Amino acid sequence: MAALPLEGIRILDFTWVVAGPVATRILADHGAQVVKIERKVPPPLGNRKLGLQCDLHRGKVCAAINMAHPRGVEIARKLAAKSDVVIDNFSARVMRSWGIDYESLVAVKPDIICISMSGLGHTGPRSSYVSYGPTLQALSGYTMLMADAEGAPAGYGYSYADMCGGYTGALAALIALWNRKRTGRGQFVDLSQFEAVTAVIGTSLMDISVNHREQEPFGYDSQEGPSAPHGVYRCRPREGDDDRWVAISVRSQAEWERFVNVLGNPAWAGDARFRTLYLRMRNREELDAHVARWTIERSAEDAMATLQRAHIAAGVVANGIDICERDPQLKERGFWPLVETWRGKTTQVTGIPFRISSGSGSIRSAGPEVGENTDYVLGDILGLSPAERAELIAAGAVWP
Amino acid sequence: MSGPGALAGLRVLDLGDHRGQLAGRLLADMGADVIKIEPPGGDHARTIGPFAGDEAHRDRSLFFWFYNLNKRSLTIDLTHPRGADLFGQLARSADIVIESFAPGRLTAMGLGWDELHKINPSLILLSIAPFGQTGPYRDFEADDTVLAALSGMLYVNGFPGRAPVRPLGLQAYHSASYYGAIATMCALFARDRSGEGAWIDLSMQEATAAAVEHVAGSYFENKIAEPRRGTLHWSRFFRVGKCRDGYIMHCTLGDWTSLIEWVKSDGKSADLDVPEYDQVLHRYANAEHLFDVLDEWVKDYGRDELLERAQLLRQPYAIVRRPEALFDDEQLAARGFFVEVEHPELGRTFRYPGAPYVFNGTPWRVYRRPPLTGEHTAAILRDDLGVDPLEVATLASEGVI
Repeated sequence: MAALPLEGIRILDFTWVVAGPVATRILADHGAQVVKIERKVPPPLGNRKLGLQCDLHRGKVCAAINMAHPRGVEIARKLAAKSDVVIDNFSARVMRSWGIDYESLVAVKPDIICISMSGLGHTGPRSSYVSYGPTLQALSGYTMLMADAEGAPAGYGYSYADMCGGYTGALAALIALWNRKRTGRGQFVDLSQFEAVTAVIGTSLMDISVNHREQEPFGYDSQEGPSAPHGVYRCRPREGDDDRWVAISVRSQAEWERFVNVLGNPAWAGDARFRTLYLRMRNREELDAHVARWTIERSAEDAMATLQRAHIAAGVVANGIDICERDPQLKERGFWPLVETWRGKTTQVTGIPFRISSGSGSIRSAGPEVGENTDYVLGDILGLSPAERAELIAAGAVWP
Repeated sequence: MSGPGALAGLRVLDLGDHRGQLAGRLLADMGADVIKIEPPGGDHARTIGPFAGDEAHRDRSLFFWFYNLNKRSLTIDLTHPRGADLFGQLARSADIVIESFAPGRLTAMGLGWDELHKINPSLILLSIAPFGQTGPYRDFEADDTVLAALSGMLYVNGFPGRAPVRPLGLQAYHSASYYGAIATMCALFARDRSGEGAWIDLSMQEATAAAVEHVAGSYFENKIAEPRRGTLHWSRFFRVGKCRDGYIMHCTLGDWTSLIEWVKSDGKSADLDVPEYDQVLHRYANAEHLFDVLDEWVKDYGRDELLERAQLLRQPYAIVRRPEALFDDEQLAARGFFVEVEHPELGRTFRYPGAPYVFNGTPWRVYRRPPLTGEHTAAILRDDLGVDPLEVATLASEGVI
């Protein structure tokens, strides 16, 4: 097997919750050794051998080090000096108080890369605000723009701010490492998750800036050029589940003609109100009602297959069972690989969304329990003897 | 600012359309030379609004501007033999080609992986496609909404019992593009070791599914399909509440004691003032009731007052703001987030949203405004490819460039 792209790179990981772990997970998937430092008394966020917590922590090693103990801090500092990248998601004062901030580390290791993924950045009057992905989304304007038909925030089941922060963090690490390879120089990256998530409303911000236009919720208006029908339409229940929908997007006149043909050229489709894309956009409510009468007669899967045969963009509004069990595309591409949890048992995890012909990433192990690799980290990375390790435990600097 | 960018020296030929254009932008912002290759007449993205001054024109699309800052533009007809030939010449010395055509289309033009790899063995080809290059859905049609549907992202948005709400902001395309930039960097590291280029097969459906991983996580852990929960976040620690003058985001992950003391001092703690709620798991299990009580508590507050007091107590509350508020945001202003970009062709300067990260050694930077259609065609043909000016003229008259 080809070496993974980031083999030989060590990341010291102080991040927690979601965004930071997503960033370092991506690096671990591609061969970096990610050493996660944490307390033995973590927030109860779930089982790291299964589900989301496994997805966030897979492929990493974890040492339980007491950062409230001066000798714990000293161990972390020694590990930092043996790492290529130190990454955290604290506000500025935390790493500084431990002496693991960029200014302190650069004196020990001149080419160190430090990445801080704080909520609002290390500088500015609000840099000490406490935040999480959902609260950053609220501040960014994204939550407000995602309203329902009545104009009230309709939320989202997940936090894109955390994902966006994670992707940006991983990319920052890769770019800084690339630059270090070319120049020999490390650097400090001050990433603001708040600033990162504004990319998702980038075009809206441009419209405000250039046209001074107040933004309204988009609902089912296409954000990539006009489209009608464009939306989700209820389908026939499946095995007693009536929460079944198909998403449909009809853009060009040619697509519209194929669409009408697939529907069997119903009389309503000849209505003058639906003759052009402009008119279909204008008369969307009536149009949607007609489309919904077609979709409710068939399963979401059948509606998708029928429309796709005519090259019309359509897809099942997939739930967790659909994507993990039923979707033939994700299955055939092996997007839910198996990983070993314990004693020969396995679980499925979320795959890596790209293959690289010269050597794809790989998911090498399930997430470690807190402190699962403390011995390895102290022994193999720092070279401490068993007696020294025992003494640190006795002193309360590391957890057993 | 001075000194080369972190990615200086890398050349990217960006064939990415409106679905894959953020990937090249992420690399261009850090100093890569990204040449946007467009068909004569301009990329489809230039037809997507809104437009500057609401004037629908290919050089005034704000959608194009946002995703193509810092790139150059070469217009060339790849379906014309000489056009494909010139592209091949550029590919000989490029590091990266980004494309988001329908699978097989590049090969049909004689510019597929096998051909590109032959002319430049160290080239990295990033192919971003809705469902990737293989599998039964390979040739399916999709826009961002359909991808959000098929990846499990759309289903979990909105209120139970009502139609799902479409996620905002082209998240399928964004997720794919972030992963595209990440994948490209990984392939560059691998190339450093082996000298060999690589073909990256990236699926937008997979990138989007990976962006809502609690859905898959819940399924694999508990065999359940995550439902829609309105504004209640799946973690059960966040929900939108309504103040006197607008919406706020509650959060129950801060220090519970100081939060409940505050609510109690307002006489609104109802049945929350019991020790059980000290436990995170109890707050998780009783989230709906907990937020109902907190909604009752915040309804007479003004948003600003609530936020200031909450943050003083280190409670991670936030205002659900309108996006217009970002332009008056003190934090963004202090960090210089919005940047001025000069558009000499319009005689104006516009504020663009800026860097997601501050690199202290090799800064994110505005190198150039988004290119006009084919703005750099002549210069690239002349300087990079040494094409005879007479041929440039004939190609232009034939509509190849």
